[in-house]
Amino acid sequence: MAVATPITPAPPPATRPRHEHTPARTLKAFRASPATYAVLLVVSAVFFVPFVLMVSIALATDATSATNMFTIIPTEWEWSNFADVFTATGLPVGRFVLNSVVIATLSAVGQVLSSSLVGYAFARLRAPGKNLMFMVVLATMMIPAQITMIPQFLLFKELGWVNTFLPLIVPNFFSNAFNVFLVRQFVSRVSGELDEAAQVDGLGYFGIYRRIVLPMMWPILTAIAIFTLTAAWGDFMGPLIYLNQEDTMPLALGLQFMTSTSNAMQLPPWNLVMVGSILLTVPMIAVYYAGQKYLYEMNLSGGSAGVK
Amino acid sequence: MAVDLGEALGTVRATRSHRAGGRRVPRQKLTRRRKVEARWFWLFISPWLIGFVGFLLGPMVASVYISLTEWDSFTPPTFVGGDNYVRALTEDPVFWQALRNTFFYALVSVPVGLVIGVWLANLLNKQVRGRKLFRTMIYLPTLVPMVATAMVFKMVLAPSGPLNDLLGLVGITGPNWLLDPTWVKPALVVLSAWGAGGATVLLLSAMNGVPKEFYEAAEIDGAGPVRQFWSITFPQITPIIFFNLIMGLIGAFQVFGQVYILTKPVGGPDNASMMMVPLLFREAFSFYQFGYASAIAWLLFVVIIAFTIVAFRTSRRWVFYETEVR
Repeated sequence: MAVATPITPAPPPATRPRHEHTPARTLKAFRASPATYAVLLVVSAVFFVPFVLMVSIALATDATSATNMFTIIPTEWEWSNFADVFTATGLPVGRFVLNSVVIATLSAVGQVLSSSLVGYAFARLRAPGKNLMFMVVLATMMIPAQITMIPQFLLFKELGWVNTFLPLIVPNFFSNAFNVFLVRQFVSRVSGELDEAAQVDGLGYFGIYRRIVLPMMWPILTAIAIFTLTAAWGDFMGPLIYLNQEDTMPLALGLQFMTSTSNAMQLPPWNLVMVGSILLTVPMIAVYYAGQKYLYEMNLSGGSAGVK
Repeated sequence: MAVDLGEALGTVRATRSHRAGGRRVPRQKLTRRRKVEARWFWLFISPWLIGFVGFLLGPMVASVYISLTEWDSFTPPTFVGGDNYVRALTEDPVFWQALRNTFFYALVSVPVGLVIGVWLANLLNKQVRGRKLFRTMIYLPTLVPMVATAMVFKMVLAPSGPLNDLLGLVGITGPNWLLDPTWVKPALVVLSAWGAGGATVLLLSAMNGVPKEFYEAAEIDGAGPVRQFWSITFPQITPIIFFNLIMGLIGAFQVFGQVYILTKPVGGPDNASMMMVPLLFREAFSFYQFGYASAIAWLLFVVIIAFTIVAFRTSRRWVFYETEVR
């Protein structure tokens, strides 16, 4: 996230304490009126309501949940729901979480490894046909996933990969165009003097990648890892296509399953579903805030990549 | 990201202009060292190359073929030519409905999100106390995974949920959002508007980059804040607005999870919220009509490409690039 730079010109240090605003010198366009505050307060409150509701429902008793009579502001504090979600739903929710962690982590590892190799080659190595290949990389960014969805499914079914994590993880080890592009741009911006020196000293291309380029790539690789983690963690369609056994489902799919298992007469256990939603959400906020710096550094500012 | 789209285009142009320049270097025989380097290049890019052939090019070719057949994946496919496309475009009313709904969703939700985004960014760009807190509150929803968002909005949009409570305050009796054919699409727009913070943050950082001298000069000339917004801020951030518009449209055309989770049966009452990808998914994985589903996928691709081209064409009229010399 971009950190806003102060708009006011720095006041003379001798006359005023440093961090004080100087309204007299603030440009008109940047002056905040009471209306500005009113709008911001209302809008951020409205944006925050779903979070409050999420917590309120998560802390509701089973009796409240059964009648669907929730309040926006929490009135009940049934903290045991956070334990019950793992035992009382009849679904292996602990397993869901574990599956999500495994799928997201291995996907991120795959993307980091493969896109660093490929991106390095596009940035540094020379070969006939390289430009053409790079054009192909850029062109593939425009192909929507739906085109390949059905043949890929048939391929993975043929390989016996349905109801395993492999269809969700393995493609990540073959990199994706956008990440290759990011690494390539990142490496291109760094001078190649060090690799040349290393080459003179007799280090091979893999050695240069491993010892020199890889260590300097970590900011972009961290950003890619975060993108991949959030995308894989939140992915719904992939697991929906490939996983239909309870013990293989990740949390995102398991939650949907939780709302649909009960028979038509019964309401889903909304309080536990919301606890599950919190379990699904909190790690993403944590990952984002831990890695924020890198995302900003990379001028990417796009945690939203995981939401789509 | 915005920068990267520009860079991608720049790279394409650079490669092209190099070709067009006619300065073709005569092909020389590669030296031994260059040959080794080239071999390493292909080795290094082999993960991408294998993935490209195995997971993209191969499946794309297969998809074209499958779209020309009738196939349930259990019995051998029958070649039917363009029948699937004809069926989608002339016989299947659900296809047209899905297309209309997807257009509605994309053409309403994306501009709504952008208007909210620009509006909020402009407010946050002022000297407000607690800006960081406001920005966090507005950005936080974009970090919530789609499934969790859908779960919460199932409750937000419930007949006696917070949204209808809010409407009740101003004397409006809110509808049963997710079950009413008229309101199910607007409900999905409401859900997508909750994620406007993503655009807000990108636009805010773009606004931060607008040189302050412009505003100083405008103020001396006596321009008010509104005039300053439309004459300075807006033109300066059009590249980012354009970037968000393109990415937003592409994403909106592929909307799936929200529809799948929130509307029952998938596509909602009377197919009122049936969209392209949920339709494709249903044809493929519920009805095992792989041929027809593949045809829908290609039609979706055509729609997305067409919209992208139109957006780029019209962008010349309203998107302002600093580096452009006119």
